Amino acid sequence: MVKVKVLHRSVVGLLLYSVLVTWGHPPDCRDNRDGIMRCVSISQEKLLDRVIQHAELIYRISEESCTIFEEMFIPLETRSQRTNMCVTQTFSIPSSKSEIQQISDKWLLHSVLMLVQSWIEPLIYLQTTLGRYDDIPNTLLNKTKWVSDKLLSLEQGVVVLIRKMLEEGMLVSSGSEQGLVSYHIPLELVESVLRDYALLTCFKKAAHKMETFLKLLKCRQTNKFSCFLF
Amino acid sequence: MRVVTTMVATIHAQFLGVKKDFDMWRDAGVTLILSLIFADVLESARFSPPGKPKLTGCRSPEKETFTCWWEPGPDGGLPTSYSLYYRKDNSDTVYECPDYHTAGKNSCFFNKYETSIWVNYNITVMATNALGSSVSDPVDVDVVYIVQPHTPENVTAVVYTDDDDDPFLLARWEPPRKVDTHSGWITLVYELRVKLEKGDTWEEHFAGQQKQFNIFSPRSGEVYMVQVRCKPDHGFWSEWSPISYVKVPDYIHRERSMWILIAVISAFVFLIFTWTVKHNSVKRFLLPPVPRPKIRGFDTQLLKSGKSEEVLGGLVIQGFPPTSDYDDLLVECLEVYDEEQELVVDGKDLQEGCLKSKSRSDSDSGRGSCDSHTLLMEKCGGAKEGPPTVLNGKQGQAGRGPLEKSNSHGHRLDAAESPDETNGSLSTVFSSQQQSHKPSSHSIPEIPRQCRVPGNHCPSTHQHDYKESLADAACLGKPLAGYRCMQAYSDHNIHKIGHKREATFQTSKSTGYVEVQKVEQENMLIVNPIAKEVRDLYHPEPTGQDYSKVNDVVNDNVLLLQREIAAKNQVAGNPTENCPHQQAGKPAIHTAVPLHYEVCLASNGYVTQPQK
Repeated sequence: MVKVKVLHRSVVGLLLYSVLVTWGHPPDCRDNRDGIMRCVSISQEKLLDRVIQHAELIYRISEESCTIFEEMFIPLETRSQRTNMCVTQTFSIPSSKSEIQQISDKWLLHSVLMLVQSWIEPLIYLQTTLGRYDDIPNTLLNKTKWVSDKLLSLEQGVVVLIRKMLEEGMLVSSGSEQGLVSYHIPLELVESVLRDYALLTCFKKAAHKMETFLKLLKCRQTNKFSCFLF
Repeated sequence: MRVVTTMVATIHAQFLGVKKDFDMWRDAGVTLILSLIFADVLESARFSPPGKPKLTGCRSPEKETFTCWWEPGPDGGLPTSYSLYYRKDNSDTVYECPDYHTAGKNSCFFNKYETSIWVNYNITVMATNALGSSVSDPVDVDVVYIVQPHTPENVTAVVYTDDDDDPFLLARWEPPRKVDTHSGWITLVYELRVKLEKGDTWEEHFAGQQKQFNIFSPRSGEVYMVQVRCKPDHGFWSEWSPISYVKVPDYIHRERSMWILIAVISAFVFLIFTWTVKHNSVKRFLLPPVPRPKIRGFDTQLLKSGKSEEVLGGLVIQGFPPTSDYDDLLVECLEVYDEEQELVVDGKDLQEGCLKSKSRSDSDSGRGSCDSHTLLMEKCGGAKEGPPTVLNGKQGQAGRGPLEKSNSHGHRLDAAESPDETNGSLSTVFSSQQQSHKPSSHSIPEIPRQCRVPGNHCPSTHQHDYKESLADAACLGKPLAGYRCMQAYSDHNIHKIGHKREATFQTSKSTGYVEVQKVEQENMLIVNPIAKEVRDLYHPEPTGQDYSKVNDVVNDNVLLLQREIAAKNQVAGNPTENCPHQQAGKPAIHTAVPLHYEVCLASNGYVTQPQK
């Protein structure tokens, strides 16, 4: 009787453990090629959808932050005149639709990843510098904090996507390739404001790029032909 | 200007041709100066370099091309030409607008090869005329943020009818032609607005990314106007599309037809009601008349007519109140005390002593067992001297005031009075003792003298009905020492008791009153049965006053108790299991009541015997 009980419990325990293993930690699943490992994990389409949602949301919030900052600190004349000060990427990102349509999925994904990784640190820096202003509204601080958190999760999502779609392992490197030395130099208030404004607007643009690339990628995933017909 | 000058010059030259050369040169110079001054004056009045043009805006309909428009300033009267220059991002290379014509006058169109998104364009417009040029203020443009699509196309609205449901409007549209929504380049959201043709205000609905929309419950027979517009998820709203008209056919709402049906049915029912009002029999059947209070013998008409005597005469009921033989009798009340109280009789010491002993001995309502009675009696020997012994009914062990059946107790019976006394006439008023010990021994001391026991000559009570049994003569027990006897109290006593009773009413519920109807032979009381109501007055039932009616006395020491109706099953205390429910109107019950065994108390407080 006791033995039966013990056996029963051990079986139950094993079952639970296996369940936990399958659902708690996404294992490194392979496709059904070898058919050996089958696991329950999120599908590629759903993952891509989620990543796109992330990017959309990040863009919307960054746009709102930019507007708030603009209204508070930037006089009318200087608005939208300094947007050409965005940090240029070490690689060139295509800038027209025709060009973009010519690049491959792989390149799209990698571009997105590089974009994301290049903005992680500046956003963290932005939080600290925004905190120095006297009458900065709390909403702005919250939004920037939110964006910088979400950017990290976006990076993770893109890494997983790369792994799934391109089937290549990827090291998550958060090295900043930008010349961000200037960020740490204390500046006068006006210059600091202008620089922060430039940061916000450039980030807004970068977020839009990410969103667009990902949406294009999604189209290509679902139906390759009609995407290129336009 | 020059024409004038040359004309002047030629005329002058011709005129001066005649003159000598020297004069000619001098005159020519003067003319020239004059003409120049003249020209200058003319020029300042009419012609000037162009004023500053103004860039009014740039728009991109599909995020692949874009157009910029400007507003020319004052042109200074001379033909002015405009040119647009731009720079990309931070580069210093200046480009000129590639296409001035496609988009109309005063515009510049950038085709898709020249358009770069996410790139900042710095655009300026220059106006040039013969006298000079001026440059507008620069404008920064990023194509991504200036997207305003064209209107949605093929907006159609139809009335859609399912088989049984109400119809609704179905509006459909398509994205503007040039916008690429398939590849995900642009995501469009739509908005729809509807208006009755006769109405004033538009009703707007947000449709999200879908390309159709339902409008439910349109008014039947009306014409609706529908318009749609779109916007990219970050950009500007397009213009409203051209109006689409749709006519809704006549129909009746299902809900309305249901209401019509309900209205018809209720009207029908209402008609039936009004019809029945006219026909009284049916009316009486459907709506029976409400009974009104009526006094029998009371004629309202008579009252109205004012003849009060007749009216009042009608009210008199013959035969009420019931008269009896005992009209002359002084109705007195017998006060029946508990044992303890009686024993208390002679003074408080005795009382206390008795009470104490009693309390000690008993665990139930205070009524001791038979033994305790004897105990008491012995202890309260002083009582022999003639203590007023009020008949006390308690004995037995029933939880409530068990009725004491004195007859069951040998001693008591020997006291002789008891059986006789407790003969049915004693009626049922045995007070239960449960509660407090009665403090009052009020007039008890007076009693003993009156207590006489006729001995065995008490006429046995004949069986009567339940209600009449109490009318039997009450025999007074022999006045033995310590015995209880039924005391008849005189009026004043009764009053006294009454008063005291009132004083102690709350606490001492154990006393009961018996109405005495007749006194016979000095020592017999014919007692009235206490009306139930009265009894209840004095002894509210739930308090557990228990009475049993004694039916008969047998052998001088056996009480025949009458089983009473057990209206409520309120017996508390141990020996209740055997208590039967008794039916009303059963007089018979008579069993000798040796007080030893348990007795049941019926709800009314009557001692009953458990069924064997």
